[in-house]
Amino acid sequence: MNNSELESILKKAQVPERPNEFWEMFPRQVVRRLGHTQTQSSRVEWRWFPRLAWGLATAICVLAAFAIGHWHGRLETKTITSNDILQNPKLIRETLGMFPNQVRAIVQDERGLNLVLSEGENVPASAPLYIHICDGKHCSSLVTFSGQEIQIAGQKLTVLSEAQGGIILMGNQFVWSSTAQTHIRSGLKIEARNLNSITL
Amino acid sequence: MGEPDELNWIQNSLAGDKEAYAALVKQYQKMVHALTFRMTGSLDDAEDLAQETFLRAYQQLDSFRGEAKFSTWLCKIAVNLSLNWRTRENRRSDIHAKWSEGAILENDGRNKFSDELTHRVQKALNKLPAKQRAAIVLTVYENRSHAEAAKFLNCTEATISWRVFAARQKLKRWLKPISHEQL
Repeated sequence: MNNSELESILKKAQVPERPNEFWEMFPRQVVRRLGHTQTQSSRVEWRWFPRLAWGLATAICVLAAFAIGHWHGRLETKTITSNDILQNPKLIRETLGMFPNQVRAIVQDERGLNLVLSEGENVPASAPLYIHICDGKHCSSLVTFSGQEIQIAGQKLTVLSEAQGGIILMGNQFVWSSTAQTHIRSGLKIEARNLNSITL
Repeated sequence: MGEPDELNWIQNSLAGDKEAYAALVKQYQKMVHALTFRMTGSLDDAEDLAQETFLRAYQQLDSFRGEAKFSTWLCKIAVNLSLNWRTRENRRSDIHAKWSEGAILENDGRNKFSDELTHRVQKALNKLPAKQRAAIVLTVYENRSHAEAAKFLNCTEATISWRVFAARQKLKRWLKPISHEQL
């Protein structure tokens, strides 16, 4: 069968006939639904108005409370940013203490702070490593350990620490070392250091 | 640009004249029903979709700039609603099951097809993936060019050409027995 034969068969298939009354009624049904939709939407608007007002008032109160609390907090303590958390020995030690030999990584990216845990207590105790990667669009930071395979900034990386204290990242298409000049794909910026000060 | 009557109907509809809009519906109801029927294979669903098309068109009427024909604009709304309908329908149940059971009579017998060929063609169309079916409906039944169909479906002309090609291969296979009988 060629294309024109196929087209000929397709076009022979008729849309089932409708009675004349159907075509007379259809425009009226549409118009009736137009009126119904409009009435319904205006009713919905009015029914929602008090709730909307209450909702807005509540939201303003919550925002005000949050702003006051935040401002108060700023006066009393230094702001702790996400990166501060990942470089704060006390916080990391406490997190690792809660899940001994289970923490594979503490990851901070645009989705927030995430804890990557192993199912069993099989993560070897070693000095935590801090890694920060930017791929031009997104940046991610994490604390992890030598030997861990992690997914960060769209890359699957294996993290290794060298005997001399350096850090090596092995990706699918590159190897990066904190101690040697290595070629990595353009746009990818990596920073890594050993958090030796944190003893577990 | 549309006919003088059509432009008046559109302007009056925008001014809130429901009767003017009813006239527009009357003008294009058969075209829209035919398209939605080809896309769904069910008269009831075709009617629901046709109503939705005209409601949506009314709500968006102020965005109609008259650069294309009103019928083209309506057709675009109808085909996209039909594609979304398929998505919803897929979640609930699969109409193909009804077809494979040979359920020609549905909805109190109102879906009875006029002839066997229509039934078999529509059954084959329904078996196509929705986007391929839309490409066939637009290019074969609505006589739209691949470029126009691409605009309707917000994709490239090459994508439409591929969908038409893929759909034709399947339709030729499924409708082969008809071709032997007819030709």
